[in-house]
Amino acid sequence: MNPVTLAVVRGSLEQIADEMDLHLIHAAISPIISETNDCAHGIFHPATGETIAQGRYGLPVFLAYMQFAVQNVLKIAEAEGGFRPGDVWVMNDPYLGGSHLQDVQLIAPYFVEGTLFAIMASTGHWMDIGGNVPGGWAPKAQEIHQEGIIIPPVKLIEGGRLNTALVKMFTANVRLPDQIAGDLNAMTNVFTVGERGLAALVAKFGREVVTDCLDAMIERSERQMRSYIEEIPDGTYRFDDFIDNDGITDEPIKLTVAITVEGSSMHVDFTGSAGTTAGPINISRNTAVSSCYVALKHIFPDVPVNGGTFRPIRFTIPERTLLSAEYPAAVGGYLEVVGRVIDMLFGALAQAIPDRVPAAFFGTIGVLTVSGVHPRTGSYFVGVFPYPGGYGASRASDGLVNATPPQSMANFMSLELSEHRFPLRFEYFALREDSGGAGLHRGGCGTSYGLAMTSECIVSVLGDRVDHPPFGIAGGGPAKPSEVVFHTDGRNWTPALRSKQEKEVLRAGDAIRVASPGGGGFGDPRQRDRAAVQRDLELGYISRETAERDYGVPQ
Amino acid sequence: MSGTMSGLVGIDVGGTFTDLFFSGDGERGQLVLKVPSTPQDPSKGLLAALHAAELDPQRLGALLHGTTIATNAVIERRGARTALVTTQGFRDLLELGRRDRPTMYGLTGTHEPLVPRDLRYEVTERLDFTGAVLTPLDEAMLRQIGETLRGRDVASVVISFLHAYANPVHEQRARAILAEIEPAWEIIVATDVVREYYEFERTSTAVVQGYLQPLVARYAGNLARELAAWGFRHDVLIMQSNGGVAPLSRLAGRAAHIVRSGPAAGVTAAARLAAAAGFSHVITADMGGTSFDVAVVIDGEPKVAELTNLDFRIPLRLPMIDVHTIGAGGGSIAQIDRGGILQVGPRSAGAMPGPVAYARGGTEPTVTDANVVLGRIDPDSRMSGPDSRLDVPAARRAVAALGEPLGLSVEATAEAILAVVNQRMAGRIRLLSIERGLDPRDFVLVAFGGAGPLHGGALIREVGVRAMLVPRYPGVLCAMGCVMANLRIDLSRTIEDRLERLDGATIARILAEQREEGEAELARGTTPIEGTDTVHSADMAYAGQIHALRVPIEAGWEPDRLAEAFTAAYREEFGNTLGDIPVMLVGLRTTVTGRRRDVIRPEELAPATGEPQPIGQRQVFFGTWHDTPIFRREDLLPGAAFDGPAIVQQSDTTTVVEPDMRLTVDAAGNLLVEVRA
Repeated sequence: MNPVTLAVVRGSLEQIADEMDLHLIHAAISPIISETNDCAHGIFHPATGETIAQGRYGLPVFLAYMQFAVQNVLKIAEAEGGFRPGDVWVMNDPYLGGSHLQDVQLIAPYFVEGTLFAIMASTGHWMDIGGNVPGGWAPKAQEIHQEGIIIPPVKLIEGGRLNTALVKMFTANVRLPDQIAGDLNAMTNVFTVGERGLAALVAKFGREVVTDCLDAMIERSERQMRSYIEEIPDGTYRFDDFIDNDGITDEPIKLTVAITVEGSSMHVDFTGSAGTTAGPINISRNTAVSSCYVALKHIFPDVPVNGGTFRPIRFTIPERTLLSAEYPAAVGGYLEVVGRVIDMLFGALAQAIPDRVPAAFFGTIGVLTVSGVHPRTGSYFVGVFPYPGGYGASRASDGLVNATPPQSMANFMSLELSEHRFPLRFEYFALREDSGGAGLHRGGCGTSYGLAMTSECIVSVLGDRVDHPPFGIAGGGPAKPSEVVFHTDGRNWTPALRSKQEKEVLRAGDAIRVASPGGGGFGDPRQRDRAAVQRDLELGYISRETAERDYGVPQ
Repeated sequence: MSGTMSGLVGIDVGGTFTDLFFSGDGERGQLVLKVPSTPQDPSKGLLAALHAAELDPQRLGALLHGTTIATNAVIERRGARTALVTTQGFRDLLELGRRDRPTMYGLTGTHEPLVPRDLRYEVTERLDFTGAVLTPLDEAMLRQIGETLRGRDVASVVISFLHAYANPVHEQRARAILAEIEPAWEIIVATDVVREYYEFERTSTAVVQGYLQPLVARYAGNLARELAAWGFRHDVLIMQSNGGVAPLSRLAGRAAHIVRSGPAAGVTAAARLAAAAGFSHVITADMGGTSFDVAVVIDGEPKVAELTNLDFRIPLRLPMIDVHTIGAGGGSIAQIDRGGILQVGPRSAGAMPGPVAYARGGTEPTVTDANVVLGRIDPDSRMSGPDSRLDVPAARRAVAALGEPLGLSVEATAEAILAVVNQRMAGRIRLLSIERGLDPRDFVLVAFGGAGPLHGGALIREVGVRAMLVPRYPGVLCAMGCVMANLRIDLSRTIEDRLERLDGATIARILAEQREEGEAELARGTTPIEGTDTVHSADMAYAGQIHALRVPIEAGWEPDRLAEAFTAAYREEFGNTLGDIPVMLVGLRTTVTGRRRDVIRPEELAPATGEPQPIGQRQVFFGTWHDTPIFRREDLLPGAAFDGPAIVQQSDTTTVVEPDMRLTVDAAGNLLVEVRA
């Protein structure tokens, strides 16, 4: 293998995946794709379906699970006689793919001289997928059918011919048919970009050379990942955390992990974690595995996203847990579970490599959905306001405020734009004082905001981290827990499940007020620089009481 | 203005050097020089450059100037102590931003806002998105804030209220009240700086303006005084980030507009030189020691970005020439990653310790070292300092050590380093979406900066661009760009409504207001202009989309005509349209350009009279070692032409002509390098 060719081919494949990302981000209708990059694109090995390259603009949550989706579709396609030129497959089945029903995947083969050369995939978040709750986040769902329509792996385009009947089935079953049709179109066009790039690469280096590079890239990435694992001291590291409840029954849900490091291999074992829940707080096995890679990539950011990176790690996820959901378990609360899995890897590995791992982040996406019929346009609208919050502190720094979750890069919508589009008004949008965990380095503060309705709206919220706040590491303290307060008919009240409420009807003048957690602290707060504590006090990042109790200031 | 004063001087003050470009009045021709910058007081270095050039202030028609003071003040947090007054409930917007993190992977790092939390105040008032007053401004409360602020030693106060772009009544009233309380404050009203929605981005932009205004005002004052003392009688023009110039006397109010002054000047010069050479589509490639800056020019107009992040969570929502930067330069370090694959950059050896060949303590091989190993850079050149040759053996040892585990020879390793860094740069160029219906063969790549012409040949091959153009003075292109720029004012307003609900008269009225405002602003300056040009455009999107498309429009167009223009532009950009989805008019923009009367005159160059003669030969590696002629740039006159391999040396850069390429010199003295047919 010529090392120069390998380096150049790798760069070119990453470039093609980047171009696919950017194409969809610019062409998509749904703001969730165009504004928050809620999409992903990749190029996969024709025989194994392993990731060769993935775009660097899409969201981390899709890091590994596209590979699993491609591998599953590859199997199904083979059973049906294999991929054919001009085919595009579509699916959103979260048990075969991952995440939730809103994430729709298109998968397309790429042929060179009649032989399957590579597989391309595009994932995009659709703003609505039918189901019980507009937008799809149904806090009380008890089976997947309440969350939307399931698309099994089927051919959307066969031999270049679009299956228009299928498209009509989609658009008839979603609340935003024009948007969905537009996004589907934009996603299909992405493959033109991918094909153009791959064709140029094959023309330049020849089919055999590029094929050899695909294999070599996977092998090299494995080597790279192993070198990082070798730096973690051998041993078994255990960590437990809890999710407050499943949205149905008010009982804590235990998650437990044991990470065993042996030389350059790692074993992640979730044995002992709670069973599949009755509500939407579940993820499929693929999503659980993908979440672990997201955590590791945050600890070792230089590792490439490639099938080889995934090889040195073995997983034990027993069947019928909330981390191995199967049909018909609801999975709409997947973001909460993904976040908790990431935190648990941080919690476990903080025991082995405390200087490289951050404390727990704010830990709840708490998707707040506002929907209804806009009085000005008479059309249906869905507004989604996921929580920002504080990051955990680390050896390197205090935690960031108003951060985006580790599994995402999504921004918060402009408040002014939100008021243009939806019949609501922000009452305040503020740093939540005194909410970061104490420590040598302090956790970042959470964010609080109030939304008042200017006409009748339906509001749902799907959060967590009220009873079990984000933890600190290396002697750092926990952050403040999450808070949700409804204000209706002049009265303030908290939902029975504290952070989860489905389809509450709010009238003009009613409001919902939320406060997200901060991040956990790092290290002993009494070791924190006194001047830094004083400055935190002046700026209102901490209260006088916290300064005295946790930091011992003034002494 | 009298006819005797036609000399023009452009000065670009960078972090390390202050560059000067002088275009003469027919007696002195052109002149370029570099002097060290004086970061403590940049006007000192500027005056030093003028003295070194021995220019006569009496005979100078105009002085144009690019500067990095604004950028550096933001990055190093050295701006004025600034307070912020916001709508009740929203003072933290500036610190919170829009929910993000500094990098996609890795969760560390924090953010220091330009206004700390204890200098941010809230006042009771609220508008809705139409501009209707929901809660009146609590003037008593504002006066109270003003009194408190008097004791807090601030230089600037920024006022930013929600939805003020739709109705600035509260912001303007608040300004009047605060100005009464303390006339010494610089008071900035956010919607005077940006009249568009997106509260965080608008507030951030206004805060940058407030943070810089006292500093820039002081600098402008010092400079004006020193230039007057020197004997210069005219107004100085300052390069703005949008590629146009603004008078020094009005600079303070436009402080936020000059943050990318230097790079904008470089792109402007590259665009003009290429246009004069007959190329309307240009990629500008500025490769220096640590970074590679690339921009795209279409039909002579540099692409403009509406939003630029000056630092993490410090967006600036003002039109700026869209310069993309990646960490690839002469100092970029080559290494083998843990998977055994060669990587180049973004880590850089910087100026210290610098490349191994500079013998200043650098031990890791860089891009410059690869060029040295391959014989592309003159070993006798004084790149590392006035008294030192390059340490070629040390560079060879470092590159050889890198290649050994890969089983590569020293030359093959050096070529691999170039291949990898060239691919990264080519990739960045491709991502600038020049491929959207545009044929790369229509572009010329203007290479400048110390390393640009070393790599430009490889880049044109990789991207498929027709030719590389190396201007006569690639090391001072930014200074030259100042001289070439026109006056420019950008205006914009948010509409955010469906076209079907708007009428042509309203749109025409807004465009007319913007035009008048721009022309009035130009009229307030003293720079002689021969006329103004006004260009209107509309930002439009399908309802629901966030990313709008900018479409050129004309005043007087009805909504139907706008919708047609949008659909046509959308089809061109994305290959299809989205059918019957309603079209939103997001905003209206107007650019008013004042064409300067005193423009640069091309220097008359004598054509070449015979074959250019090389000054020597050197072994240079292109796959194998080639006997390669070495030319001096000053010997290459219009009409000269030869085939590669060849090396062209000048004091500030080296141009590589690969074996299958051909070099020609055009009438203006530009080098054009093309792949031979």
